[in-house]
Amino acid sequence: MIGDRVLRKEDARFLTGRGRYLADHDVPGLCHIALVRSPIAHARVRSVDVTEALLSPGVVGVFTQADLEAGGARPMTHRLSMPGIQPLSWGVLATDTVRFVGEPIVAVVATSRAEAEDACELVEVDYEPLPAMVDPRAALEPGAPLLYPEWGTNVFFTAASPAGQADAAIATAPHVLTERVSHHRIQALPLEGHGAQASVDPQTGGLVVIASNQQPHQLRTVIAETVGLPESSVRVIAPDMGGGFGAKQHFTREECLVALLARITGRPVRWAQDRAEGLTASIHARAQEHEVTCGYDDTGKVLGYKVQIVADLGNPVLYFSGIGPSLVTIGCLAGGYDFGPVSFDLRCVATTTCPVGAYRGFGQPEAHVTSERVLDTIAERLGLDPVEVRHRNFLPDAPRPWMAPSGARMDIGSLGPHFDQLLDEVDYDGWRKRQADARAEGRFVGIGLSTLVQGTAPTQYGVAGRFGSWESASVSVLPDGSVTVFVGTKSQGQAHETVFAQVAADALGVPVDRVTVKDGDTAALPYGMGTWGSRSAVMGGGAVVTASTRLREKMDLIATHMGGNPTFDQIAEEVWWHAHRLPHHLEPGLTSTVVYTPGNTIPVPDAAGKTNFEETYGAHMTCVVVEVDVDTGDVELLDAVLVSDCGRVINPMVVEGQHQGAFVQGLGNVLHEEIRYDDEGQPLTATLIDYTPPLATDVRDLRVLHREKPSENAGGFRGMGEAAIIAAPAAIAGAVADALRPLGVEVWSTRLHPHHLRALLRAAR
Amino acid sequence: MTALIETALSVNGERRILDVEPRTTLLDALRGIGLTGTHAGCEHGACGACTVLLDGETVRSCLVLAGQCGGREVTTIEGLGTPDALHPVMESFRRCHGLQCGFCTPGMVLTAVELLDENPSPTEAEVREALSGNICRCTGYAGIVAAVLDASSSVVSE
Amino acid sequence: MKPPPFELLLATSVAEVVGALAADDGAKVLAGGQSLVPLLALRLARPTVLVDVNGLDLAGIEVVDGEVRIGALVRHRRLERDATVRASAPLLAQAAALVGHPAIRHRGTLGGSIAHADPVAELPAALLALGGSVVVEGPDGRRTIRANQLFEGFLTTSISPDELLVEVRVPAAGPSTRTAFCEWAPRVGDFAVAGVALVLDDSSVRAAVCGVATRPVDISDAFAPLMGAPLSDAVVAEVAARVRAACAGDDDRAELAALLAVRALREVA
Repeated sequence: MIGDRVLRKEDARFLTGRGRYLADHDVPGLCHIALVRSPIAHARVRSVDVTEALLSPGVVGVFTQADLEAGGARPMTHRLSMPGIQPLSWGVLATDTVRFVGEPIVAVVATSRAEAEDACELVEVDYEPLPAMVDPRAALEPGAPLLYPEWGTNVFFTAASPAGQADAAIATAPHVLTERVSHHRIQALPLEGHGAQASVDPQTGGLVVIASNQQPHQLRTVIAETVGLPESSVRVIAPDMGGGFGAKQHFTREECLVALLARITGRPVRWAQDRAEGLTASIHARAQEHEVTCGYDDTGKVLGYKVQIVADLGNPVLYFSGIGPSLVTIGCLAGGYDFGPVSFDLRCVATTTCPVGAYRGFGQPEAHVTSERVLDTIAERLGLDPVEVRHRNFLPDAPRPWMAPSGARMDIGSLGPHFDQLLDEVDYDGWRKRQADARAEGRFVGIGLSTLVQGTAPTQYGVAGRFGSWESASVSVLPDGSVTVFVGTKSQGQAHETVFAQVAADALGVPVDRVTVKDGDTAALPYGMGTWGSRSAVMGGGAVVTASTRLREKMDLIATHMGGNPTFDQIAEEVWWHAHRLPHHLEPGLTSTVVYTPGNTIPVPDAAGKTNFEETYGAHMTCVVVEVDVDTGDVELLDAVLVSDCGRVINPMVVEGQHQGAFVQGLGNVLHEEIRYDDEGQPLTATLIDYTPPLATDVRDLRVLHREKPSENAGGFRGMGEAAIIAAPAAIAGAVADALRPLGVEVWSTRLHPHHLRALLRAAR
Repeated sequence: MTALIETALSVNGERRILDVEPRTTLLDALRGIGLTGTHAGCEHGACGACTVLLDGETVRSCLVLAGQCGGREVTTIEGLGTPDALHPVMESFRRCHGLQCGFCTPGMVLTAVELLDENPSPTEAEVREALSGNICRCTGYAGIVAAVLDASSSVVSE
Repeated sequence: MKPPPFELLLATSVAEVVGALAADDGAKVLAGGQSLVPLLALRLARPTVLVDVNGLDLAGIEVVDGEVRIGALVRHRRLERDATVRASAPLLAQAAALVGHPAIRHRGTLGGSIAHADPVAELPAALLALGGSVVVEGPDGRRTIRANQLFEGFLTTSISPDELLVEVRVPAAGPSTRTAFCEWAPRVGDFAVAGVALVLDDSSVRAAVCGVATRPVDISDAFAPLMGAPLSDAVVAEVAARVRAACAGDDDRAELAALLAVRALREVA
């Protein structure tokens, strides 16, 4: 039931190798796709010759964009219409110009992946190189080579808030801090690569697409548009997924390609992204630089806050565009603080690199690292404890919800007592003493803090131009009293088969093992929004609890009508088998499909110019203690504690697992992982030898404690899946900065990998 | 396509004859006979998702050619337990929330089984070291390490 | 990510291997495969024929006339654990334990690692520090190549394309021999950014470093101040400075090499 550590229903099949992921769907006659991808960052494509490739063994066909268009392909676009955005559409395959290493140009279909790769090597492409443009700041310089000359600039999107109030507050503040904070490029790296498989249903002529995608219904929309079929003729199934973390949130060229090639060749076809494609030609993330200016008083209270952002989008051929994370960044610059007037200036820049888009955290880690570095630095410059400075800047405890000037409706609990619980748990004062002792011995221990208010369950409308803030679920009690739940979210490892069963069981009053949950099939529900943005518990859970409660209420009515205290199973049987005995006004059956929304968001500015992208907020207080080896640059965790308030906790075991996993991804962000390019735009991190996520030996367990202030939404849930990946980089960067302060090192970058720290330390010596 | 090689080997205790291309890896050969619990995470030996036991020792099946395995004995995750009869190490993974998406899980379980065979009572540091060749992107390793420690005591007490 | 096509020859004798290598310029030896198969998968290696040597009988370990003789097919995991190796060539056991992860070490072979000559690999540096040699067999029979004449450059040795490395020989450790292999890598099992192999006994000191050049480098001279002097802070500083100088070129790697040299020294002192 809700609140219990129910063991997971999905585990038995995963543990025994019986999960069924994308590449586990072999069917007779299945063909495989491999892609010819550009080896050059920026080039005009003079010609493509596929003659040799067509003769290669096993080849079924070789296709360019012209072939796809002859087969019905329509252009892809970002579909955004907000002010400040450039028009852009692109083909499923590139045609006359390529703009990053890895951009697909030709697709080969063959009877095996190996044969398809053999044939790719025989495709002749004649490239006329154009200048690479890797550094977004250089791309902003006058005279910089342009990716899209028709724009007259490399700026794809720009937005700014009125700066007057913030500028005035900063100008009159007793102290001003100005720094540049760099958030380097990383990627989500789900262990299972992206991919899709499609076939034509011989009965209907419709398409069946199996895709490792977090949002199967929206993928259906995009495939239907690109292929030119009604949505009713496309079924998308998202099977078991080996992680997603945002990397499988976009609707990609390759997914549309698979659908088109199934129709053009008449064969079942699969594209399974390999790791090199994943690392170089899928979706990267973060890649922002902030110039922050902050005015503050002698007590450390921030009086005005201004952030100018340059976001590197790579080649922005991505539906729904890589600007989403940047829009989230500008919406949460002040997080859970009262920073007085806040202003921003955002420029999203196109470069000749892989598209930048979603990764768990989605713009929030960038805002949070910057604000936490600023608060720690204010404390240092004023000689105050960073704890004290945070207390001074927290949102006041009342009123609730706190209505921020921006429109954000923050329904969180009091931050001060929450923070104090963290400090007690981690023994903050004790660590300060141990830190001083260590320094006396020549060891460098640091304590880092993150006091995070996380927006959860956002509306997608603001970043996609459509797709609102709601979720659907269909709950049915079957005649034997067993229960089915179909939900429009899509688990990628988040235990939805278990937690939604808990939600339904709790509302219906049956044991959890009576409930079976299914997701990821557009044939099961008219529409759904998928899993992203820490939304599933809030939105999917809200839908399941609403549908289940309706059924329970109906069953209670029927029980009264039946009399004699009937059991759950007796009511179920009565409703389905003996409907003639029900009151006439009661609809037979026990099934409820709901489309649920809490209704708290304001996706486009209202009359007062206010927006609120989030249905609810979570609060998460984190402390990390590290020791830095100043010879090697290794950072060792000595302790890590998170006190989490995600409202009503459905399954503490699952919540803790989400936090621990997200924390280690955030640790990887600052201590291990970096997507790198050379000046010519050649990727330097194309294998897992070069891109190095944390291993079991690189981490220690995050300790998680719970506080529960229920949200006002159905079920009382708040999102949490992204909390620790937002908190960890900020807390770890703070701890490293704290450790190295005696050596004169300042931390204004997320690049804290050992070799970067060694360079910082050498520079300081 | 080069000529196929006929390779006779034992897979999960069953004699199998595989007709494979010389370039076919053990990973692809196993998946080709329906043993899809062995996962392709990187195909260049860096993630551990394709770990199987070859003559009782963990290997990365993406770095072994199927044609090299004549006369050898391969154990995959399917040979270790079934949903109705989980291996004790699998039970521990379930009990300790040692998996989320499940993609790294077969490799993790087989690596843990080998560790516990060699060292029935490992320390936490030894567990982390033994698992360090297997990437998990979901759990942060907390549940996995807890599961292996849990299995070590339960295996010992059996 | 699938390998390009090639033929696979499951060899059963050294003569068959040598014959196959001599007959085809594109033929390549497949031993443990832990470096070669990734290169195949990435299509960075394109052999016409892979000559699988795993069926050969080249896995002996014995001590003969003060020399440890180890068959080329001895796998890292065995090297790491074998009692004879640990007693008589402990540096090889120490170095082998740092290669990759157990699943890699179950397959990777001593001969394969040395013949591959990756400049960041541990075992070539250990062989160089030990002043060992390799025995190779080719069309003209067997010959021995000393370690200091083996490693020529990035992934390049003085072994001819038609020769097979069959045995590795190192001087057996004496009663006063102490050895250490210290390396720094970003994560457990990663290739070392720098690593120092050290062999010290009452009358001599030998050392080699990996990671700082296109091949392992003999840095025994840097440790000369140790001889005949007590291990003072000044001596340690002098050794560190000499190692740094010997590894000049990349500041970061040179600094690490100096640090690791000191750590190795402290370990054996």
